[in-house]
Amino acid sequence: MTRGFLVRGTVSVIAAAMVSSTAVRLAAQGPPPPPKAAPPPGWIDPRNPPKEDPNWQPPRTADGQPNIEGQWGQASDIITYSIEDPEAERAGHTAISGQRPMVGRPIIDPIDGKIPYQPWAAKFAEFLHEEHTKPSKLEYLDPVSRGFQEGVPRINYQGALQIQQFPGMLLITYDYHHSYRAIPLDGRPHVGKDIKLWMGDSRGHWEGNTLVVDVANNNEQTWLQIVGGFHSDAFHLVERWTPTAPDHIVYIATIDDSKVYSRPWKLRVDYRRQKVDEQWESAVWEGNRTADVVLGDTKK
Amino acid sequence: MPYRLASATVVSIVLVVAAAISVARAQTPANTLPRTPDGKPDLSGIWQVMNTAAWDIQDHNAQKGVPAGLGVVVGNEIPYKAEALAKKRQNYENRATTDPEGKCFLPGVPRIMYMPHPFQIFQKPGQITMLFEYVHATRSIYTNGSQHPPGHIDWWMGDSRGRWEGDTLVVDVVHFNNETWFDRAGNFHSEQLHLVERFTPLDRDHITYEVTVEDPKVFTEVWRMSMILYRHREPNAQLLEYECYAFDNPFHPPVPSR
Repeated sequence: MTRGFLVRGTVSVIAAAMVSSTAVRLAAQGPPPPPKAAPPPGWIDPRNPPKEDPNWQPPRTADGQPNIEGQWGQASDIITYSIEDPEAERAGHTAISGQRPMVGRPIIDPIDGKIPYQPWAAKFAEFLHEEHTKPSKLEYLDPVSRGFQEGVPRINYQGALQIQQFPGMLLITYDYHHSYRAIPLDGRPHVGKDIKLWMGDSRGHWEGNTLVVDVANNNEQTWLQIVGGFHSDAFHLVERWTPTAPDHIVYIATIDDSKVYSRPWKLRVDYRRQKVDEQWESAVWEGNRTADVVLGDTKK
Repeated sequence: MPYRLASATVVSIVLVVAAAISVARAQTPANTLPRTPDGKPDLSGIWQVMNTAAWDIQDHNAQKGVPAGLGVVVGNEIPYKAEALAKKRQNYENRATTDPEGKCFLPGVPRIMYMPHPFQIFQKPGQITMLFEYVHATRSIYTNGSQHPPGHIDWWMGDSRGRWEGDTLVVDVVHFNNETWFDRAGNFHSEQLHLVERFTPLDRDHITYEVTVEDPKVFTEVWRMSMILYRHREPNAQLLEYECYAFDNPFHPPVPSR
């Protein structure tokens, strides 16, 4: 038999290492001139989306839920490197790697597309941004680059996902890092406040055609982007997943964190249906060398 | 072909198991099992073993921090080749540092099935999804008639293709790497590992889980494990997280040996 298949875990580890190692080199060379960025054909600008057909009705599952089952990929050209200013941030990396820059800016409120930090938090976010290419301590390195789970909402703009619906339960499995969310729809309360989770604790219900998911019990260890973008354990989201056409879901998360942000803010991701039908293994932790590469120590 | 079970021993084992299962079925009215709309037993729910296989799949006495346990290996003996038995003994001696569980790697199959953590089954006609609390591992078991992709592919959790034989879910698993163990006692396999798992509901809250293990590189013949999966009936039961690698924040993440 041939060995023609790429193992996705290996690819993602290499990709993570590439991002980080090129970032290190960048810090030494200074930023090259930004290349011209162009979004892919058919992308959906989160900040200027197309009009939706208000009369369209999604099909229903056997138990009467709006049917949003299937494989979905984000169509908003978002990169987890930076959700606030991806074009500027990615320019240098793109110049070296030859990869297409991504331009999606998912923060739709506030209108400037930036995370509305409290003044003290803005200073720390700036510090993390300065540190991200050459962290002075391990904890200033992006948690996902260290092999940890993304958390919500970052996992939603990392890559593709599969939705499966069951009576009283909705399941999202993600391509990246075999992350998953089992979302009860039966009205049960969140787990107790002392439980803290990387992927949070999700509780969903349907409002018309919109799946509304309350995500609480988040730990304070996940970031929203590689260049920093932090929150506390008061981080809380209300997600709204709305099918607006046969092959289109609009996702809008309202995010608050009274310890870190000055006001609630909103983030939008658009999903298009994908034709793939299987998720294959994405082993991320196993063999991840990003911390070694970025911190400049190659000992085993 | 490495995946073919052909010996007379296997045939006789299969016959004995089949007889045992039909006895069990006769004692438990099949019509009381919860079923999905397509008529298959509904395995949905949160499940967990109640045994000590995570420490040692064979009979073992208690040690500090290790509960004593009856083994889950049918007949208790594992038919290692001579050189493989030596490797197993070496693994046991060095288990504190060489057990892949200690590096927080995906534990592979069947080890993930009897880790001391709950897992959840979601069932569709063409796909059964298993979510595990331990390192948020997942398994997608396709029951849509699809075949294993061509390989060999080095996957931690292998490639699972299932089918129903009466009320038993039968899962064929191949495409493993050689990095995972069966337990904390050093029992191991190669990349030629081939499993046939059988999930047979005993009643709505219990599943008999049997797995046939074949690996011509390590074992002289196929062997079997058998255990019970118990449903979590706590009304608030749900999976939490055991993000093993996040506890130590190691400066140097462990690296697979290849």
